[in-house]
Amino acid sequence: MKATESEILDLIAKEAIIDREKVTRDATLEDLGISSLDLISMLFELEETYGVVVEEADMPQMTTLGEMVDFLLSRINEAAPS
Amino acid sequence: MSRRIAITGLGAVSALGIGARVNWEAARDGRSGIVAHRFEGGPHAPEPVTLPAALTPEGHAQALEDRFSRKVSGGLDRFAVLGLCAAHEALEQAGLVDHPALSHRTGIVLGHGQGGQETLERSYERFFGLKSQRMHPGTVPKIMVSGGVSAVAMQFGVHGPTFATSSACASSAHAIVQGAGLIQTGLADIAIVGGSEAIATPGSMAGWQAIQALATETCRPFSRDRDGMVMGDGGAVLILEDMDHARARGAEILGEYLGAGMTSDAFHITQPSLDGASGAIRQAATAAGLLEADEVLISAHGTGTPLNDRNEAAAIQAVFGERTPRHPVIATKSAHGHLIGGSAALQAVIALQALKTGLAPPVLNYNEPDPECVVALVLGEARSIQARHALVNAFAFGGLNVSLAFAA
Repeated sequence: MKATESEILDLIAKEAIIDREKVTRDATLEDLGISSLDLISMLFELEETYGVVVEEADMPQMTTLGEMVDFLLSRINEAAPS
Repeated sequence: MSRRIAITGLGAVSALGIGARVNWEAARDGRSGIVAHRFEGGPHAPEPVTLPAALTPEGHAQALEDRFSRKVSGGLDRFAVLGLCAAHEALEQAGLVDHPALSHRTGIVLGHGQGGQETLERSYERFFGLKSQRMHPGTVPKIMVSGGVSAVAMQFGVHGPTFATSSACASSAHAIVQGAGLIQTGLADIAIVGGSEAIATPGSMAGWQAIQALATETCRPFSRDRDGMVMGDGGAVLILEDMDHARARGAEILGEYLGAGMTSDAFHITQPSLDGASGAIRQAATAAGLLEADEVLISAHGTGTPLNDRNEAAAIQAVFGERTPRHPVIATKSAHGHLIGGSAALQAVIALQALKTGLAPPVLNYNEPDPECVVALVLGEARSIQARHALVNAFAFGGLNVSLAFAA
């Protein structure tokens, strides 16, 4: 199953419990107070929704949500049949 | 008892619907929430089973989540969401949402038999079934039995004494007694009390089947052909408040908590005992001065299991003797199922409205008299009553008994 940028941003807002309008590509993880536990919850949700296992340890150092979204989209969409 | 305890708010959610009044009207009108449900346990479970159950409708559960801030409901098991929903309704009715008294002079005591069973089963399916090394970080906070009271405290800003009680089917009855105690001892002016449960999950239901407690078709309290209980889920909350405090702020008084009896059988982990049950009822009736009353509404534990109902009828007889036929007995689990930890609170919410309206709701699904269950059952349709007082019974597995006394 393929994902879109907007779906990933929705998921981040839901799991980190942040107002959706604040969840933009330019926002930083630090500004939004996204914790390590929020990240793990998010990775669980990704696995449930898209069937892709992403370990926290695999995630590169990231500052903005845009970087995170790009990384997650690449992992999800490379796993999905085209 | 030095301080009188008023009831200033009621809340309920169950298979009968959302709202204390909705639940009351359904019980009064003889509507049942019991239907056949299919329980599917996932890829590693045995074949699904179909069993009667009384569950809060799924659409309603989602509506509840949407009503509360995501900061709280994002990480809650269903049992906690149901408790939160009932607490919110009760606090709104009491006019206490955002009230300054909530902050430091209010306590919370909610009872739950098991806590986050749905979360437990999903997490363990990943771990044991799918052999996933990773456990969801929400697992522990969602499973813990105190997750419900913490959610209520966070949602409404309550900083006073807050804890959960757990005594299987008597959990919310013990919670009500403990909440009243906080007020009586001066530790709080208000107590948010009650309970909730959501354990109608595939693994849990298999356990209840194993113990041979479940009915094959429906819940038939005190009927000779009864063959077990029907699992329910939901929650109910009462706002207990120091009478002077309630009057001073002009709150509507919906009823009064008069006292309770509590005993332990110290006998058997599943079988009831006559002395334990009758002891609790006698203590409560004595505390409230009801032993010689003309008419007392008795909300029976009435699970529909062969053993409980026979023992409970004998216990009522043992306490009231020849006065037994005066006291109308209701058994609303025949409508809302057995909410386990939440049952006593929901029965209290319904009994208080029965006293207020002068109507006793009928025992449903009753087919034939049992010579071992001779009490004055309300059958057929709701019946007019004169009673100004009610006893609410809760007799738990493990022999933990509570009887609560209320006045209209």
